[in-house]
Amino acid sequence: MTEMVRKSSGDEILNHWVLAASCILLIISGYGFLFQTEAIGSLFGGFNTMKTVHNWVGVVFILSLLYSMRHYFTDALEYDEDDRQWFKVAGGYLSHKVKVPPMGKYNPGQKLYYLAILGAGIAIALSGFAIWLVQGNQTLILISHLVHNVAFCIFIIAVPVHIYLSTLANPGTFQIMVNGTLPLEVAKKRYPKWMKAAGKM
Amino acid sequence: MANDNTKNRKAILVTPEVCIGCRACQVACKSWNQLPGIKTKNNGTYQNPPDLASAAFNIIRYSEVPSAKDPVRWLFVSRRCMHCDDAGCMKICPAPGALYRTKEGAVAFDRDKCIGCKLCVNACPFDVPRYDADGKVTKCHLCFDRIGAGMQPACVKTCPTGALRFGDRAELISTAKKDGFGTIYGEEDLGGLGSIYAFKEEPKLYGMTDDPAIPSSVVFWHTVLKPFAVAGLGGVVAAAAIHYLAVGPHKEEEEV
Repeated sequence: MTEMVRKSSGDEILNHWVLAASCILLIISGYGFLFQTEAIGSLFGGFNTMKTVHNWVGVVFILSLLYSMRHYFTDALEYDEDDRQWFKVAGGYLSHKVKVPPMGKYNPGQKLYYLAILGAGIAIALSGFAIWLVQGNQTLILISHLVHNVAFCIFIIAVPVHIYLSTLANPGTFQIMVNGTLPLEVAKKRYPKWMKAAGKM
Repeated sequence: MANDNTKNRKAILVTPEVCIGCRACQVACKSWNQLPGIKTKNNGTYQNPPDLASAAFNIIRYSEVPSAKDPVRWLFVSRRCMHCDDAGCMKICPAPGALYRTKEGAVAFDRDKCIGCKLCVNACPFDVPRYDADGKVTKCHLCFDRIGAGMQPACVKTCPTGALRFGDRAELISTAKKDGFGTIYGEEDLGGLGSIYAFKEEPKLYGMTDDPAIPSSVVFWHTVLKPFAVAGLGGVVAAAAIHYLAVGPHKEEEEV
């Protein structure tokens, strides 16, 4: 039997799917509000219900996002020379012929993606709470409305990229978010520096 | 949008010069719309209630301004929803049908469809919409129920001096101009207002907003962010598809 390495813990996987599900619900209902789309409103049983769902799923989303910091935040702040080199070859995504420098547990694309989602997520949550709960402060509400929508634009760009790169573009990646493990041989190729640090090679 | 509305568009013409500040318009509005009274305090002015409210769709604003001839001039302006052609409230509203355009060109609301998000309150250039106790939007709806039945709005019907007139918007404007009113406030602003004001003096003297406009952040959101939210998602999905076909998925063997 192939020796497996654990990359994601159980609570990380569970939290990832809570985050993913709430994020997608929020994006769908967000489009409904943005364009007054009756069909999306009907999915939720009308716009009044959709507003309630949007607000409370937003609470789930931000709690889940903050919880995810214990899994990714430290890694996302560390960059080395190989990471800089990684950007020069665009992570090997644009051509399979370039030599991609050895990576740790996460490549800098993933790390920056995490920081973008964390930043945009905190911004969209804070502005969302302001729109939801604050009354009688026009400046704050208008700024929040703008921030909420700019952050939304970041999400609708970043999330599909994340989904594509973790499924079709990189076969074998998706299962890490299902059972948390991958074969040791694959891990050695993809995350040599992480495997070295873990004493597996 | 403008052209659809301007045809047969109805309006209220306010002529502050002939308003005597009797507030019959306020009473008639409350009566027709079955709005409760509001407990207020004497703030040293006859203006009461002090501002538009969920139970006050129109008010007369009383202002005392210095004058060369008299110690002070007392000016009255009847204030209500401006029924903008380019309405900030309708632009920002996320719930379809909560704020809608009547066939006479007014901006009316549907309580049942309002989700109580309060965004319209903040996008209005004239600080008009209010929220009732249930958190639903309320404001003047140009008595669409009355004018639909061939009657005048309640406030206009009761006005004893002709300070409020209702009718065909274009006709009201041309008549007012013939009568020597140099400034028709709202003739062009925000695509043309449905509450227009005839002045011989500076509208600012009467406390009218100079160059009313939808907040710039709302305009930016509407003209840039909304299209981007569609083009961006479409672009990313297309880019992923092109990448998959042109470059293809990651292959383990090619990595050294």
